[in-house]
Amino acid sequence: MATQDSQTTGETGWARFGSLDAFRRKDNLAAFLFILPNLIVFTAFLFIPVVFAVYLSFSEWQVLTGDLQFVGLDNYQNLIYPLPWENDWAVLGTPTVNLWWWAVSRTIIYTFGVVPVAIAGGLAVALVLDKQIRFKKTFRAAYFLPVMLSGAISAIIWGWILNLNGIVNNVLEPVGLAHNWIGDPSTALGAIMLIAIWAGIGFNMIIFLAGLQNIPDELYEAARIDGCNGWQRFRNVTWPNLQNTYFFVIVLAIISSFQVFAIAYALTSGGPYYATTTIVVLIYQEAFQYDSMGLAAAMAMILFAIIFAFSYYQYRARGNDEVTY
Amino acid sequence: MVRSNYDYPGYDRSGPVYWAKKITLYVGVVFGALLMIAPFYWTVTTALSANPGAGVVTIIPETVTTEHFVTLFTEHPIERWFFNAIVFAGAVTLFNVAFDTLAGYAFAKLDFFAREKVFLLFIGTMMIPGMVTLIPVYIILAEIGWVNTYRGLIVPFIASPFGIFLLRQYFLGLPDSLGEAARIDGCNKFQAFYHIYLPLAKPAVATLGIFAFMGAWNNFEWPLIIATSHDLYTLPVALFLVQGQYTQNWGLVMATAAIMVLPVILAFLSAQQYFIRGMTLSGMKG
Repeated sequence: MATQDSQTTGETGWARFGSLDAFRRKDNLAAFLFILPNLIVFTAFLFIPVVFAVYLSFSEWQVLTGDLQFVGLDNYQNLIYPLPWENDWAVLGTPTVNLWWWAVSRTIIYTFGVVPVAIAGGLAVALVLDKQIRFKKTFRAAYFLPVMLSGAISAIIWGWILNLNGIVNNVLEPVGLAHNWIGDPSTALGAIMLIAIWAGIGFNMIIFLAGLQNIPDELYEAARIDGCNGWQRFRNVTWPNLQNTYFFVIVLAIISSFQVFAIAYALTSGGPYYATTTIVVLIYQEAFQYDSMGLAAAMAMILFAIIFAFSYYQYRARGNDEVTY
Repeated sequence: MVRSNYDYPGYDRSGPVYWAKKITLYVGVVFGALLMIAPFYWTVTTALSANPGAGVVTIIPETVTTEHFVTLFTEHPIERWFFNAIVFAGAVTLFNVAFDTLAGYAFAKLDFFAREKVFLLFIGTMMIPGMVTLIPVYIILAEIGWVNTYRGLIVPFIASPFGIFLLRQYFLGLPDSLGEAARIDGCNKFQAFYHIYLPLAKPAVATLGIFAFMGAWNNFEWPLIIATSHDLYTLPVALFLVQGQYTQNWGLVMATAAIMVLPVILAFLSAQQYFIRGMTLSGMKG
């Protein structure tokens, strides 16, 4: 990592990790006390529940008696079969169709739509608002305001704006483009993506602004002295120095996109005709509306694996490229 | 401060190219900003309109009325929902700030056995989707009878890996020499943290506080699951409930949304410089 505490290692250090010296470090007790509250909370509400969730995904939870019945791989088999290409998507909602794969496809479409646009938008806004520009603070506040909203609230406000008699349709009606954006299964997911982008740009902007302000001005001065134009300064100074920021932003955006719930559930409750049934909406419905805790836990495990794969790939790909100065 | 191009030779502050660029830039920024804040504006105007369901939505409402707010307070326990949201978000914020500054400091400035591994373990939990732990946590809380209680609402959220990450990054940016000087002056490890580093980390603490507060204030799925009676609903869940009941009365729905949104806007506007600068300021520069 970037800074190694100076009083630490001496001659032995991490080279002899695992030896007695590693235990003799002088901050052990203090550090343990410092992290103890977090350790307790994480153990009770993250580590134990994760282990429990793994077990739950191989079991069925009896709502009335509260018993767990071990069912082996049944939950996972029920999820995976029938395979996506064996499904008849036209008759969604009948027991022969596998909603899991449907929800996966909705979530992937959503992620591919939202993440690049929200990140590119956030970077563009950050680049503009990092410059000398009048009312910079006001503009930053304006772009950031949507981030402060709960997904549920954004969804309901946009539900009003996009509804059949709403503001958007009032504008589009004279052009003949009025449309039931939320009620039509082919556009409902698009509406949710729009809301997510609206709310995501400001968040990414703030992270990028932080990254931009961490770039030393001397680099820009040197680039100017070397005669770089605006694009060259962006390409050779801004872009490489934002590497850590990209890592952070992309991982966060993918993780949150795969877990989209509040917007989809508050706007349409997964409908119309399953158009906005994303993975987490499906998990929520299975667990808390149909009481299939085991099946929902199995879905959550697969979601966990997907998200972990993304995060781990990012983590590895980033490797030792970390820029330190 | 990033200096503007015009502080350097070879850039001219006049001429058609300069003005064309300038105007395009401002038009773009203003247009984007309007897109961002328009929904807030319409929330308020709709909440204040007499009959917003009537088809045509005007930019400025013709008749201004407070009837929707009156209905909300007389027919719905909106003050209770507001109180619940404040209790939830306030408690979560206090605990997060206390716990995450401690842990963030330990990971940045203390040296202990398997520090990087424990840090990875903590930060790795950010990869766990909320839904994975939600189901078992709900079952556990159901077993010990915490469903539909403030305890059950608050306790699962009193620490966050994100806060630890944020504070650790910030403390890493502060020089070790400060702590060494404090130790030479006779501070113990906690005193060095509490008297030297914590005051310098105010921007990061403010950022964490706002993040934690907003996260809880906006949390939708957890209250939706754990609160089974109206008495424990927080505002987002209550709004969802009101919207489900009154899809035809958008004025009432938007009045609820406005009550939820306005405090958020006020809080943000009063603390935004902390928030925006907080993520980057280093104690030495600031």
